[in-house]
Amino acid sequence: MKYKAKPLPPVNLPELRVVGKPLRRVDALGKSVGATIYADDFSLPGMLYAKVFRSTVPSARIKRLDVSKARALPGVACVITHAELPQAVLVTDMPGQTGQKRRAGSDAHVLAKDVVRFVGDPIALVAAETLDIAEKALKLIEVEYEPLPAVFDPLEAMKPGAPIVTPPDNIVSKYKVRRGNVQAGFEAADLIVENTFNVQFVDHIYLEPESGVAWVDDRGVVNIRVCTQVVEHFRSIALALGVPHNKVHIQGTMVGGGFGGKEDITVEIFIGLLALATRRPVKLTYTREESIMAHSKRHPYVITHRTGVTRDGRITAAEIKLIADSGAYVYLSPYVLLYSVGTATGPYRVDNLSIDAYAVATNQVFTSAFRGFGAPQAIFAAECQMDDIAQKLGMDPYEFRCRNYLKTGDIGVNQQIKSAAWLEETASRALEALGEKTPAHGHIKVGQGFASYMQSYGRIMWFHDTSQAWVGLELDGTVVIRSGIPDLGAGQVSAVCQIASELLGVPLDKVQIYHTDSALTPLAGTSTATRQLYMSGNAVHQAASNLRKVLLERASKDLEEDPANLDMADSKVFVKSNPEHFMPLTELLAKCASEGIHLSNLAIFRAPFTSPIDPENVQGDIWPDFTFGAMAVEVAVDTETGEVTVLKSVACHDVGRAVNPKAVAGQIEGGAVQGIGYALMEDCMIKEGYIQAQTLSEYLIPTAVDVPKTKVIILESGTGVGPFGAKGVGEPAITPAAPAVANAVSNAIGVRIKSLPITPEKVLEALESLKQKEKVG
Amino acid sequence: MLPEFDLVMPRSLNEALQVLAAGSPEVLPIAGGTNLTVDMRSGRYEPKVVVDIEKLPELKGIRRENGQICVGGGVTIAELLKDGLVAETAPVLKSACALFANPLIRNRATVGGNLVDGSPAADTAPSLLALDAEIELTSQDGKRRLPLDEFFIHVRKTARQPNELVTALRWALPKPGTGSAFYKLGLRKADAISVVSVAVVLEAEKGVCRKARIALGSVAPRPVRAKNAEEFLTGKLLKKEVFEEAAALTAQAVSPISDVRASAEYRRRMSAVLTRRMLEQAAEQTGWKE
Amino acid sequence: MEPKVITLTVNGRKHQVALPPNITLLRALREYLHYTDVKNGCEKGDCGACTVILNGKAVNSCLVLAWQADGGEILTVSGLGTTSNPHPIQEAFADTGAAQCGFCTPGMVLAAKALLDENPHPTEEEIREAISGNLCRCTGYGPIVEAIQIAAERLAEGGQK
Repeated sequence: MKYKAKPLPPVNLPELRVVGKPLRRVDALGKSVGATIYADDFSLPGMLYAKVFRSTVPSARIKRLDVSKARALPGVACVITHAELPQAVLVTDMPGQTGQKRRAGSDAHVLAKDVVRFVGDPIALVAAETLDIAEKALKLIEVEYEPLPAVFDPLEAMKPGAPIVTPPDNIVSKYKVRRGNVQAGFEAADLIVENTFNVQFVDHIYLEPESGVAWVDDRGVVNIRVCTQVVEHFRSIALALGVPHNKVHIQGTMVGGGFGGKEDITVEIFIGLLALATRRPVKLTYTREESIMAHSKRHPYVITHRTGVTRDGRITAAEIKLIADSGAYVYLSPYVLLYSVGTATGPYRVDNLSIDAYAVATNQVFTSAFRGFGAPQAIFAAECQMDDIAQKLGMDPYEFRCRNYLKTGDIGVNQQIKSAAWLEETASRALEALGEKTPAHGHIKVGQGFASYMQSYGRIMWFHDTSQAWVGLELDGTVVIRSGIPDLGAGQVSAVCQIASELLGVPLDKVQIYHTDSALTPLAGTSTATRQLYMSGNAVHQAASNLRKVLLERASKDLEEDPANLDMADSKVFVKSNPEHFMPLTELLAKCASEGIHLSNLAIFRAPFTSPIDPENVQGDIWPDFTFGAMAVEVAVDTETGEVTVLKSVACHDVGRAVNPKAVAGQIEGGAVQGIGYALMEDCMIKEGYIQAQTLSEYLIPTAVDVPKTKVIILESGTGVGPFGAKGVGEPAITPAAPAVANAVSNAIGVRIKSLPITPEKVLEALESLKQKEKVG
Repeated sequence: MLPEFDLVMPRSLNEALQVLAAGSPEVLPIAGGTNLTVDMRSGRYEPKVVVDIEKLPELKGIRRENGQICVGGGVTIAELLKDGLVAETAPVLKSACALFANPLIRNRATVGGNLVDGSPAADTAPSLLALDAEIELTSQDGKRRLPLDEFFIHVRKTARQPNELVTALRWALPKPGTGSAFYKLGLRKADAISVVSVAVVLEAEKGVCRKARIALGSVAPRPVRAKNAEEFLTGKLLKKEVFEEAAALTAQAVSPISDVRASAEYRRRMSAVLTRRMLEQAAEQTGWKE
Repeated sequence: MEPKVITLTVNGRKHQVALPPNITLLRALREYLHYTDVKNGCEKGDCGACTVILNGKAVNSCLVLAWQADGGEILTVSGLGTTSNPHPIQEAFADTGAAQCGFCTPGMVLAAKALLDENPHPTEEEIREAISGNLCRCTGYGPIVEAIQIAAERLAEGGQK
């Protein structure tokens, strides 16, 4: 065996009763029997059905918009255009709960005022008695466009004289990093390697299209039951609806997949406006085609790496340029770009570093959050670059990386790494588990490749992120948690239930969580940035610990033992040294209740607060912590057809502490397969502003026969800033997959493909270019 | 949302043919609906009347008949896939059925529907062409049979008249020394529209090709045979060089386009590569070793 | 376009419902009969979220015209079991983490049911093939395959059917 697992440093993880166990998730059975009520499954009496009229051109002035025929259609209750709501502004780049300063020109009209910027830009809203009538009404809306110049390539859009998509200019965001002495670094290099990498527009393809129902109730409150990652959007929604913050009530549903695509506002304002206008409940559910047309995408990037290395494999300098396509609106591009900057080098120490990063507007569907938030693109480029350098140095790619991996205490792109940086530990295990290479035969070549990564979890610290949680005990010994957490299917709510169960000594099936409500559950912040376990896990930990303290203090009187010597499990409070000496929890609760002792606790967890960094030189602490890991894959490449088959896949991540190892493994496997799809088949294929992959027949995601089982290796350093030392892994899980696949393909065929997806045709082109080179050589 | 149409639900073939008799292109039959429902939703077809032929007993059944295999036009892909007679007499069709869309679609889609859709990518078409299948079209005026090769005309254009239904497909029992192979190249391993598909059937005697059929999907405006290559192969000893030449001839016979799935150039190249491979596999099955 | 009263037996319950001819079985089940456990993911047979078992076969309900199912027997995931009395396949899905966001789960469970009815001891390859018309974006399929394997074992051991 070529690779051997690097021994782990000693770790002392306390043995826990509930946390760390692969328990059935609290939401699992309801979903398995079809009892979970998703957004579109909900209806109200007298409900209207809504549809959105959207732009069919990428850049135009609206010369004439006539909705009179649609309004006159029997059964149409309401048609709304910009003329009816001149004040309605859609805040596109304020991420949820904090009052960040917005870029000039970043906000959009809820409905197009006089211009449309991309194919799919909303222009009018219809509400009708039935879905069929609403659809008919759309066909009766007349619009005349006067084409405006358009730009579809960010490099073109950066040039002077390019059509301006997002006034005042097309550069919606830019950052620089200048560290050390780059020139001297390159002078000290024995070899300089330069490559340009391209990644494509991709879609989240959550199985559940966007959906919601809105109604105005007897108090004048606009209730919106919706699948969203961010209930805190109620503030932006209120602004757009022209009502006070306390008159919008978001009732978040279980989300049928989000991955960042339900991080921005989707249907909420549309149905809110229609409900206010008609005073009737309104439902809007996107078709798959509309979903693909209307919601954000992962940013395509052009990334250039120029790296200097010594003959013995040490990086002396790097110059990196990142250009992201932000599409027609700003949305979260400035932050996505910042995450790409923070991961641009990959998990390597580069003391002489120069980075220039731009997010540039074009007349295409807007780009925003997608699992990994800028890291998958940056890490793809960085890890392909590392493999290419290793090959040019004639070094083993793992050996080469080991000489440059960041270590705890080192400074990455912008900030010091404080937790365990288990890069060798994870990569060596992934490689060891991958095992010997499957023999090649005939035209089938086999290759192995891997990629390491680092990725933050928790939000940018100058957002001053907080999460609140309420934990209480009922008199029968059951637990109630109230928390605003949206559950995207990643086990967000189940994890915090497990934490409360652990701390209060109550079995998991006696813990009930009420969640995702902007008015009735304490705000927990967004289910984004791999932050819920970290933030809300800590908030629930805090609330449950506070409650536990009160209970143990009260129990200590009866048990005649210091609270420090007491513990809780199996719905009992007992003396640690003598578990036979115990008090049933219900007895303790009855006493507390009769004495007026508070049986609940509302806690707030605050992430560390910092000030914004200087975009001219991105240096200093931005993120609370990082997760580290690796994936290794083996592929078979048919050198005659270019078809790539993933034969083996291994993922190894240090998750700090796995609150539920089964749920963690599920995140890792799912991320790996999404990343394999990114590498091999997914592409919106946008041509002159039009998405060619309009349905799931053209936008391909992996099926069960396209991927092998990903072997998951979970490491627990216990050094994360989440509860019990947990780190976040939801987003990181996807990040190493695409470069690992690309590196394996390169290993198989001896030539590197620098753009995603790696289609059969690109493989053949690469082989052809290799043949040409060999001829010339 | 589907357009508005009247749905007629005849109980017999005759009743169905009566509804179709006027020969209006605005009257369309539906069986499994795996194409028509999708195409009506997208607005490609807006029929005034839809005729449900899914359960017509006359369109069902797979049987031996006068030295031929006869398959009803309403037989589903799943039924073909599970059928012993198909496996024994037309493994090349079974292979195509195994890669047809996905198991859910296969439970509804019918072989007749797959062919009348007129898609160059119809998954069963290359295999049925390679089997020299005959298609039976029935109208109130009677039945007519024609070689499947004459059925396909262009993208979404076939020899089916609006008053006709595909009632059966027939092919001959394989002669001893027959080998066959099928490959579908898609951008995903299941549920993918083919980029190129190739079906080959060879009849050989002591390594000499007596008859060759090479048919391809997604490389022309209709599923096509590479007749130049078929002719070239006839009478030749089955060996590597011959296969390579036949493959090169096949690449000349196709007229692919570039679309979202692949370029014309790639399709042409794959036509040759896959034809060579299928010839090799089919030749091996004839029992002849070079 | 005149509506017609058709009979659909869903999860053993007989419904008579007047429907126009252009309503798919998916819409009939969700919008007219309120079987919202049948999910709509694409309405064109690409995703499998709307899978039901119609007369013993797993099909995309979005591609079937409701009139075509007149007189038919339909099984949806909620007819297979409930939280208080789940089917062994549903139990297994919950146990292995096969349901993450859960939106593909109703279709996936029914695809698994159709498979195990026909092939009680499938190989991993057969399982993957059987669910290849059902897309999942969360799990990477591993936990789903495992759930079906476990369900097969439990059913063989005489678990309820």
